[in-house]
Amino acid sequence: MLTVRDLTKIYANRFDTQAGGVREVSFDLPEGTFFTLLGPSGCGKTTTLRCVAGLERPDAGTIAVGDRVLFDSTSKTAVPLNERGIGMVFQSYAIWPHMTVFENIAFPLRVAKGVKPGKEEVRSLVEQALSTVGLAGYGDRPATRLSGGQQQRVALARAIVHRPKLLLLDEPLSNLDAALREEMRIELRRLQQQIGVTTIYVTHDQSEALAMSDRIAVMEKGRIVQMGNPREIYFRPASVFVASFIGAANLLTGICDGAVVPGAIGSVRLPDGARIGCLFPAGGADGQATTVSVRPESIVFADQAVLSGIVTAASFLGGSARYDVQVGDSVLRVVGGAEEVVAPGTSVGLSFAASSAVVVG
Amino acid sequence: MNRALAWARQDMRRVIAALVGLVLAVLMLPPLWILLQDSITTTDAIGDVTGFTLAHFGKLFTDKDAIRSIWNSLVFAAGSTALSLIVGGVLAWLVERTNAPFKILAYLATIISLGTPYILHVIAWLFLLGKIGPLNDAYRTLTGGTANLFNVNSMAGMILIEGFLWSPLVFLLLGSTFRAANADMEEAARMSGATVLQTLRRVSLPLAMPAILALALFVFIRAIGGFEVPALVGMPGRIYVLTTDVYEATIVVPPDLGYAAAFSVVMVVIVAVLLYFYSRLSKNAEKYHSVTGKGFRPRPFDLGAGRWIAGAIIIANFCIVLVLPMLTLLWMSLLPFLRGFSVAGLSMLTLKNFRTVFTAPGYVELATNSLMVAAAAATFIMAITALAGWIAARRGPGGWLLDQLATLSLVFPGICLGVAVMEVYLRVPLPIYGSLWIIAIAYVIRFMPYGMRYVYSGVLQLHHELEEAAGVAGAGSLTTLRRIVAPLLSPAIIAGWLFIFLVANKELAIAVLLASPGSQVIAVSIFDQWVNGQGGELAAFGLIWTVLMTVIACLFFAQGRRGGTDVFGN
Repeated sequence: MLTVRDLTKIYANRFDTQAGGVREVSFDLPEGTFFTLLGPSGCGKTTTLRCVAGLERPDAGTIAVGDRVLFDSTSKTAVPLNERGIGMVFQSYAIWPHMTVFENIAFPLRVAKGVKPGKEEVRSLVEQALSTVGLAGYGDRPATRLSGGQQQRVALARAIVHRPKLLLLDEPLSNLDAALREEMRIELRRLQQQIGVTTIYVTHDQSEALAMSDRIAVMEKGRIVQMGNPREIYFRPASVFVASFIGAANLLTGICDGAVVPGAIGSVRLPDGARIGCLFPAGGADGQATTVSVRPESIVFADQAVLSGIVTAASFLGGSARYDVQVGDSVLRVVGGAEEVVAPGTSVGLSFAASSAVVVG
Repeated sequence: MNRALAWARQDMRRVIAALVGLVLAVLMLPPLWILLQDSITTTDAIGDVTGFTLAHFGKLFTDKDAIRSIWNSLVFAAGSTALSLIVGGVLAWLVERTNAPFKILAYLATIISLGTPYILHVIAWLFLLGKIGPLNDAYRTLTGGTANLFNVNSMAGMILIEGFLWSPLVFLLLGSTFRAANADMEEAARMSGATVLQTLRRVSLPLAMPAILALALFVFIRAIGGFEVPALVGMPGRIYVLTTDVYEATIVVPPDLGYAAAFSVVMVVIVAVLLYFYSRLSKNAEKYHSVTGKGFRPRPFDLGAGRWIAGAIIIANFCIVLVLPMLTLLWMSLLPFLRGFSVAGLSMLTLKNFRTVFTAPGYVELATNSLMVAAAAATFIMAITALAGWIAARRGPGGWLLDQLATLSLVFPGICLGVAVMEVYLRVPLPIYGSLWIIAIAYVIRFMPYGMRYVYSGVLQLHHELEEAAGVAGAGSLTTLRRIVAPLLSPAIIAGWLFIFLVANKELAIAVLLASPGSQVIAVSIFDQWVNGQGGELAAFGLIWTVLMTVIACLFFAQGRRGGTDVFGN
């Protein structure tokens, strides 16, 4: 449905930092996909979104929705943003304060090119959009008298009222408080599935990305470094960056012990001599320096241990308990059951399945 | 599809920018050009250039009087800046950051002084401090002699009057600085054991210093270009400054326009250099701005028993800035001829002057002329700057150039702009010279920067996503401008309009060389009446005018509060 090829947009180098922008970003989205661009601030995710929207002009690349080319640097095609027929929710919501809720939502219909919908049609479309976002009956309110969550719903209604093929969401939840954010996360996903619109969602919050997306693209320094479904991203991180950006990761470094074919389980020798079994998604050569990522919740305390260490800190979190365990020179984080009590100073054995220890570099 | 049409729609902002840029260039560039040209050329009787010369500048730098004028200008500007900063600054701090009583009086004085033509204040002060005024009168009575305590037509008199003229502006601008300052920093100092005075000296003042310096430079620039005080106070005492020299060179017969232009160029250069430092300073001041944006009300300092002293200071200022000048004007307006305050005078009180104002034919026409010229200029400026300011603030095509063009006239002191505009439109083969149009054009050029400031800061307050959302929703540039930007910007546009309308009706310097007998405006007419000795009528008319302008000033302040913009668009 949406095709983005080699999208590049470089910002002039300001101050001493690296030049911002995006480089050779490509992705293909099937109809109805909830696609998330995830990354730290400055990674280029918002720039990518703004290029698709037409708010920025890319330096190179192509953008197409279905058969319709929106941007192509080689044929010098650039459809103006107001003719792209895209719906977008902005980070600040951008609700126009001088209009009522109804007028805000009706705006895309009123400025539509070509056949403008009649008065009755506008009314029914707006009311439909309002009830979709759960704000039926709010039409006559001045836009200034809305809570944060309500403003966000109005922004969403405005973005979907003209039935766009593509919906763009720019960190829409970042201005809400924690409880509301949780609620809107579920709500947004439900809504997207209900209307079935292809959606690009930009966020720096990994839990939002994991909870809502069909597909996630993790970006770093202007490039997509890994793309996949939430489980792949979480359990099979392709790099140290992805492993440590998505959730907490314990990183162990060692030497590959014997050649391993891609996708097979191999063995890594740690500096203190211990050997651990782990998954080599890309294979490995004998003697190669290797970094392994293990999620804290994959590690359990066990008598028949792979590693042994001493608990240096323990904190009770209610639903679970978190431990710092000194193993050799490094400290591993372990999440254990809340009932079990292990006091600091205790010597423990640690164990994990070879399939949950992933070689990331 | 029609490619040309598509281009036009896509690049509507470019079309708008080009048109606005053209209008601005036609208005703003010729005055500067003509001043430069006149200052280095000789001309014949009808104004055609006959040759190149450096004689005007030569005369300027060898003539003892000219050098003294430059020196006088600097002393005058520095003195009045210092005085207004001390008076306005103390007042601003007392009102904004302490629990001093009678704060409302400070605001009241400021609002009314914003509506009063400067020249009325100056005339009232000339009377109060003059030979027949109450000060010298009381001194003569006390000493029994004929010597006066104070000669108002002196540099000291000029500085005193100009300083108090600017103190309300300083009060307003420093007030907003003090209001925005982060009270936590002062409270932290107090918690560390500092007294109020120590806190003020070690924390509050250093924090406000960049803003204070920027403001000082701003007032200095305005005082260098000040005309009312030098003309009415200085000239009778034979104390000349740059602005009065320019004026003299223009009104002598035959006018020495080359000399006036050379003088103007010197002033423009001085002001341009100062403006450069001003813009650097005010950028610096913004860095120190410790606004938290939490909409908090800082806890005022408790002055203890000292608050009554503070209250006395506020009342004294209120009397000096407002009550005394207004009482003086009232006294002047109620007497058939000018005389000092006395009990004997009370028996002669009459409403004759007020009757004349309402029945004589000239006054109504004069008022309508003034209001119409000011309204026309304000309307035109806001229409142009609404577009130019929007494009500039959004970094649209040519935005930087539009901004530079629109704010170019900041380098002109009023009197120099008067000379330049006169020169330009003497040569334009249109019946503009000698009509009200030329005054309107001069106002437009002069006050364009203010309109720009209001719109520019107004646009910056609008989140850019508000416009982008309209674009994504399907609206083109023009629709976005009409349906989103214009309505949201209207408070800033209205505030800018009212401000320009007020200052245009106040200023004497721009219009004094451009007005002709058939096309007068208020400030010039008051000036003429004062020179002709018609003090009573002018006082009566001035009072009525002040009431009218105060109403508009109140509207302006109400609008400023609503729009959230800084009072002077700064």
